[in-house]
Amino acid sequence: MLLKEFLKDKLLTIFLLLFGTITIEILLAIYPFGKILKIYVPIAILGLYAISLMVEYVVKKRFYEKIELILNGLDEKYLIAELIQSPHFMEGKILKEILEQTDKSMLENVNQYKYLTEDYKDYIELWIHEIKIPIATTKLIIENNKSTITKNIDEELNRVEDYVEQALFYARSNTVEKDYYIKKVMVKDMVNECIKKNKNVLIQEKISLNLHDLDVFVYTDSKWLVFILNQIIQNSVKYKKDKNAEIEIEAKQGKENVILLIHDNGIGIKKGEITRVFEKGFTGTNGRLSHKKSTGIGLYLCQKLCQKLSIAIELNSVENEGTEVRLVFPKGSYMEL
Amino acid sequence: MNMQKILIVEDDEKLRNELEIFLNHNGYQAYSLKKFDDTIYHILEQKPDLLLLDINLPNVDGEYVCKEIRKQSNMPIIIITSRDNELDELISINYGADHYITKPFNIQILLAKIASLLKRTSNKACFQEKLDCEQFILDANKSMILKNEKEIELTKNEFRILKYLVQNRQKIVSREEIMEYLWDSESFIDDNTLTVNVTRLRNKLAELDLKELLETKRGQGYILK
Repeated sequence: MLLKEFLKDKLLTIFLLLFGTITIEILLAIYPFGKILKIYVPIAILGLYAISLMVEYVVKKRFYEKIELILNGLDEKYLIAELIQSPHFMEGKILKEILEQTDKSMLENVNQYKYLTEDYKDYIELWIHEIKIPIATTKLIIENNKSTITKNIDEELNRVEDYVEQALFYARSNTVEKDYYIKKVMVKDMVNECIKKNKNVLIQEKISLNLHDLDVFVYTDSKWLVFILNQIIQNSVKYKKDKNAEIEIEAKQGKENVILLIHDNGIGIKKGEITRVFEKGFTGTNGRLSHKKSTGIGLYLCQKLCQKLSIAIELNSVENEGTEVRLVFPKGSYMEL
Repeated sequence: MNMQKILIVEDDEKLRNELEIFLNHNGYQAYSLKKFDDTIYHILEQKPDLLLLDINLPNVDGEYVCKEIRKQSNMPIIIITSRDNELDELISINYGADHYITKPFNIQILLAKIASLLKRTSNKACFQEKLDCEQFILDANKSMILKNEKEIELTKNEFRILKYLVQNRQKIVSREEIMEYLWDSESFIDDNTLTVNVTRLRNKLAELDLKELLETKRGQGYILK
């Protein structure tokens, strides 16, 4: 708050007071009043007003500067109304009142949407649990009636299952509430589960696996981790090269972390596109290859879920040589519950 | 030998029927509850060797059923559910379930879990450790083929391949099928390794003069005669 601007605001009053003082001075000059009065009157009027202006300036300056300071330090700026101390002047009180009311109305609005998203998420979860029953039944029917036709249906059904899974985790990734459960899990178990899940396509595409050094423990939610691994492995399958495709998975124990590396020798990603692979809806040159059918959701979801689980996810790739995804799990002593 | 009884408690009729067929195919005697009043009483009355229990049942909460049964019986319980999260799994285990499996389940994994539970809990030696295959005997404990007085040791993969071929005797088994079977038991071999393993297996069979048993069907797979 600048003094110049403050005074500019008070210009009308200042001008009127000056005008009043001058008229009084003129009257005093016309009529024979004492010299003291001629000096005292302007000093009294203008001087006292100047003092009151100064006091007001200091009070307001202090008040607004404090608000600005708090505001700058706040992450969630809408909380400002809660943090303003009740001012002693009217304008400040009005300001606080207005802020409080807008905040309240905004929060109500936000809560309504929060509730709607929560509600929608609950519905999606319920729907997914329901759809899994006919999928399970169909799988059993296929198993009980094995033939080349049912095998074909099974492959398609696996795709349906993957999409259903993705929808479930998409819904989970968007909620504020904690939806996961951290416990000690063996990396090998997670990787094996994931490989078994994808066995059909891995065998069919003749991809050889090189899994080693996976007997390490990490603290995470096993279901979430399997989902994340699943997305990464499916990408490796999708963007494999035509011959001698290989996926290598290994874990490295660091002092402060465990690093899980998923490495493939696939077609890789263009240099300029690597930084964008985690963006939602980003499909890139590879994704637009006619037969790949990329949705641009997989890696985006991975990153989001990793963030929630405090796993760092990094991707490196060299075009025509391969892609490597690293998952870095923290191993701080605080994790030892 | 008595077949082991598996009781299925699942309210989805079609799923339950298919599960019954599937388990019956795989050497168990499966049957299911059709009504869900007095569920706990009926389960206890049936005295199955193993219980497959759906967690979402009409009238009663599956977790409660699990807890109540555990109070009175130590029959193995596998929970089947479509709720796929860690916390639900933990709760079920706390209520006394032995395993937790989510729909849609991997059928081989379901079978493996059933087998391992029954093996652990049953006193009867219901498991054929020695599989009589007419011309030879397959010993699961020692991972060996026995013929007359001769014994030949098999590697884990060779044993599994032969076991799968025995299970599907007289049928053509594709290479993919064998690989999927091996992968389900976490032996993630590739195409070349399979060829090597089959060749070794054939050589070992030849040592027992059983070479003709294992035939290659070009472009289709293998058959054990």
